[in-house]
Amino acid sequence: MQIRYFQKGFNYSQDGTGNRLVIHLQGCNLHCPWCSNPEGMNGNGGESLSTDDLIKEIASCKRLFFDGGGVTFTGGECTLQKDALIEVLKSCKQNGVHTAIETNGTCPYTVDLFENIDLIISDFKHYDEEKLRKRVGQVRDYRKNITDYLKSGKPLLIRIVLINGFNAEREDAICFAEFFKDLPTQNATFEFLPYHEYGKSKWEKLGKEYQMKDAFVTQDTVKLFEEIFKSYHFKTIRS
Amino acid sequence: MRYDCNKLDEQARLLFKEERALTRLDGWFILRENILAYEEEHKNTPKELLSAEALCYALERLPLSLSDNAVFAGTQRDAFAQSYALINPNFKLSTFNGYCDPTAVFNDIEPNEEFTAERIDGVRKQTEKSDYVRALKEVYANAETDTKEVAYFIEQVTGHLIPDFRKAIAYGLNALQAEMEEKIKSETDEKKKLNLQAFSISLNGAKILARRYIELAKAQKETATGERIQELNRLISTLEKVPAFGAETLFEAIQSFMLLWSVMCLEQAPNPFAFSVGNADRIFEPYRAKENLSREESAALFKHFLLFFNVGSRSWAISQNILIGGKDNDGNDLTNLTSFALLDAYYAMNFPQPILSVKLHKNTPDCMYEELGRFFFTPGCLTPSLFNDDTVFPILKNNGVDKNDLPDYSVAGCQEPLIMGKDNGNTTNSWLNLAKILELVLNDGKSLITGEKLTDCKPYTTAKELLSTVRERFYAKAEEYIDRMCNAANGASVAVSHLKVPFLSCFMGGIETGVDTRDVQSQGTKYNGSGCLIHGLSVVADAFIAIDKLLEERPEDSERLLSALQKDFEGEEELQKYLLSRPKYGNNIAIVDDEVAKIAKKISIAVRQRKNYLGNPFRPDWSSPTTHLTYGYWVGATPDGRKARTMLGYGVDPLFGTAENGLGFRILSMFKLDFLEFNGGYASHLGLDPKYFKGETLEEKGLEFKNKIMKPLFFSSENDNAPFYLYVNVTTPEILRKVLANPKKYAPSGVYIMRIHGTFVNFLDLSPDVQEDIIKRLDLSSTTCGGY
Repeated sequence: MQIRYFQKGFNYSQDGTGNRLVIHLQGCNLHCPWCSNPEGMNGNGGESLSTDDLIKEIASCKRLFFDGGGVTFTGGECTLQKDALIEVLKSCKQNGVHTAIETNGTCPYTVDLFENIDLIISDFKHYDEEKLRKRVGQVRDYRKNITDYLKSGKPLLIRIVLINGFNAEREDAICFAEFFKDLPTQNATFEFLPYHEYGKSKWEKLGKEYQMKDAFVTQDTVKLFEEIFKSYHFKTIRS
Repeated sequence: MRYDCNKLDEQARLLFKEERALTRLDGWFILRENILAYEEEHKNTPKELLSAEALCYALERLPLSLSDNAVFAGTQRDAFAQSYALINPNFKLSTFNGYCDPTAVFNDIEPNEEFTAERIDGVRKQTEKSDYVRALKEVYANAETDTKEVAYFIEQVTGHLIPDFRKAIAYGLNALQAEMEEKIKSETDEKKKLNLQAFSISLNGAKILARRYIELAKAQKETATGERIQELNRLISTLEKVPAFGAETLFEAIQSFMLLWSVMCLEQAPNPFAFSVGNADRIFEPYRAKENLSREESAALFKHFLLFFNVGSRSWAISQNILIGGKDNDGNDLTNLTSFALLDAYYAMNFPQPILSVKLHKNTPDCMYEELGRFFFTPGCLTPSLFNDDTVFPILKNNGVDKNDLPDYSVAGCQEPLIMGKDNGNTTNSWLNLAKILELVLNDGKSLITGEKLTDCKPYTTAKELLSTVRERFYAKAEEYIDRMCNAANGASVAVSHLKVPFLSCFMGGIETGVDTRDVQSQGTKYNGSGCLIHGLSVVADAFIAIDKLLEERPEDSERLLSALQKDFEGEEELQKYLLSRPKYGNNIAIVDDEVAKIAKKISIAVRQRKNYLGNPFRPDWSSPTTHLTYGYWVGATPDGRKARTMLGYGVDPLFGTAENGLGFRILSMFKLDFLEFNGGYASHLGLDPKYFKGETLEEKGLEFKNKIMKPLFFSSENDNAPFYLYVNVTTPEILRKVLANPKKYAPSGVYIMRIHGTFVNFLDLSPDVQEDIIKRLDLSSTTCGGY
């Protein structure tokens, strides 16, 4: 089986615990205008390699998975290549490699992967489906999906990118917290990421217009969200 | 408190200032002049004795001084010329000519009223007539076709050894002389007898210096006031004791060491580069412990010990190395309080010399890493290079070192492991340029740089045939060059053996063997070998893979490739782009990483199969002390897409700009090398982005450095085969450009220490070529961790 990716590399404790091999799989079902990896959107781009080769490569990296590290699949949206991903994840688990995926949370079949995943990192971009749909495209079921993730009892890191004019007001923080209030969040941690422009040059390189304007938030906004979530007894982190 | 630590600190700083302000170093010239004069007058004296007598004669006449701030007596500044060295502020790539002229140093001395042009020229001419220079010139003349564009380079090795002064410090030179007198009585071999007599005479050299410094101190005392009188009294009584008699205190041990070191370097003036101390913490700890001297007081004394290694205004390429830490044969850590006192002294002074290296192993205590944090994470501070005992021990054992000698391995200069006091490794004897050999193989033996025919190559009919047999042709040509290189290198060793080293021999096993360390007929040291520094690994491997891909994907372009190389890719940008985008070493890509491993192993074995002048193997050393620039300058375009005259990869590292997927993949590629083959050493550098380390204190960052870098790199292997050397610069190109643009702001002291190859340098003192190399090799995408 083949798997498509557009970037691979190591980072420490940014996308899961310890030192991790982070593999960006090609293709995404959303079109977020703030995306920092727009080159990963097109499902036909990137490079292709066999799952066998990828499995071998991951095995060869084991010496670098220190401090609880392992492999993280992200994207694009990694779950779009579900079958290939399951094969690789299964092999990782058999080899004792810690596994994580980072997902936009909009694909209903993501739970099929859970058996072979140690950590789920899921976006939760907005509590209001309609507002989200207007910005990123079709996002049906994402609120149900996050509920399923929570119910699975798997360690879950929920990431909320704070974007000025979209989801970063005090009332937004309360609405986010209210959404999670009655869900089983005992295994969940929340992280608020301030909007950045790291992807801007990539959009321009791809000949696409970068549409984001006035989207930055201050550290005070991040702190405000953290405080409100703490008042709801949610765990928050900064990685 | 036995010592006033603040005062010692202040004096060390003042002495450093005095040293940096010296604009002339003429001592070496006066010394050589007197040695030659004595030799001229005593032509009938047996050669063995002549060197020792001439040395003592010259030491009696060498101008000495004692600063008002001097706490100890002794200097090695008279053993070095003002600027003569490869890595210096005047260094330009284009000036390298493949020839190590033993009289070039006379150009270094600026004529003035005292040192007139005639006087300088007289000594130069006399030197030119010496057996040594004549023999060496002949060797170079015979090798000229090979060396002028650096297919290989050879040199006579001076310095680059680690003397064992421990016995001399403990028992005194009188005891060693008495031991030799006894030996002489029973020795039947006339040559050995003469050698032992010479050794014994040469030891007087250190006693001469002691006596003369006592005279200076007494003279200074006549006008001294206050505390200075006590300081001078302490110095006088110490010099009355050491080095003639054994030391009992740390102060005495340091003083004894300094005088021994001075004479050892003066014996080899003006080329005592890269003599190294070995584990200074183990040498001095018994004396510190005996008087239970505190860490603070010991550090205060060590500030003066470190100062001693700084010579004039030159902050480069003295390459003298001090080690701390390490383990014994049972895996016990040998770090002691002196290790930490030395670190304190290093950190407080931040001198550009001597080089600091730390031996690590699986059981190195966390506190060592915590103590090291301040070095790695203070901008502009010196950083130690790091060695992995867990790999170095088995490598040395595999190559014949006795188990009991393993903990005593030390580092000669930059990264070459040698056994202290027992190993004459001739570490920089030969230098091989694999990339140049590949160039010649692909261009019918003609240089792409000058067009000159430098070697005959096996004929071929088509370009495709040549390319498809490139490996076979390359290895055959490499064997030829290695043969000639080793012959020439042995010739250089024979040449330098005309310069006897009786004083050094006393601390290299000569007292036991009765043989001079440089003797080319009998072995004076327990271990002996000759070094070969091998260049161009990543370029050749990347080139092989690019050729394979071209033959696979566009074989019709075979001829075009050869002509593109001749044109340095002018008008062939598309082809160059194609070649550059083929798989490159350092990205965890099996085909190319395996190729690198294969080349490294094959060439290591080929080098090790060659015998030196005593029949001992050459030692493969995959390091390139800035020579990746100079040798690259003489290499034409290569099939990996590299342009002519640009740098080669540093040591075993990927070529700058080719490992684009971050440090993790680079390390994984590196793991594929067979480090156990590199018994001569190797070099590797990582540029680390300070942002990768999140700890709040320097100690926390030091531990993070262990966990994120050293543990995975050195200690994650399931067997002995792991990397065993590393140096790092924790900085970014952006930071360095800021330092260059505004040195007053970022380096107010005028000193901003960086690591370049095995040595420290003051970044601000370097030539633009070398500054640029350092900045380039910090290339974020290929060497820096902390993201990708």
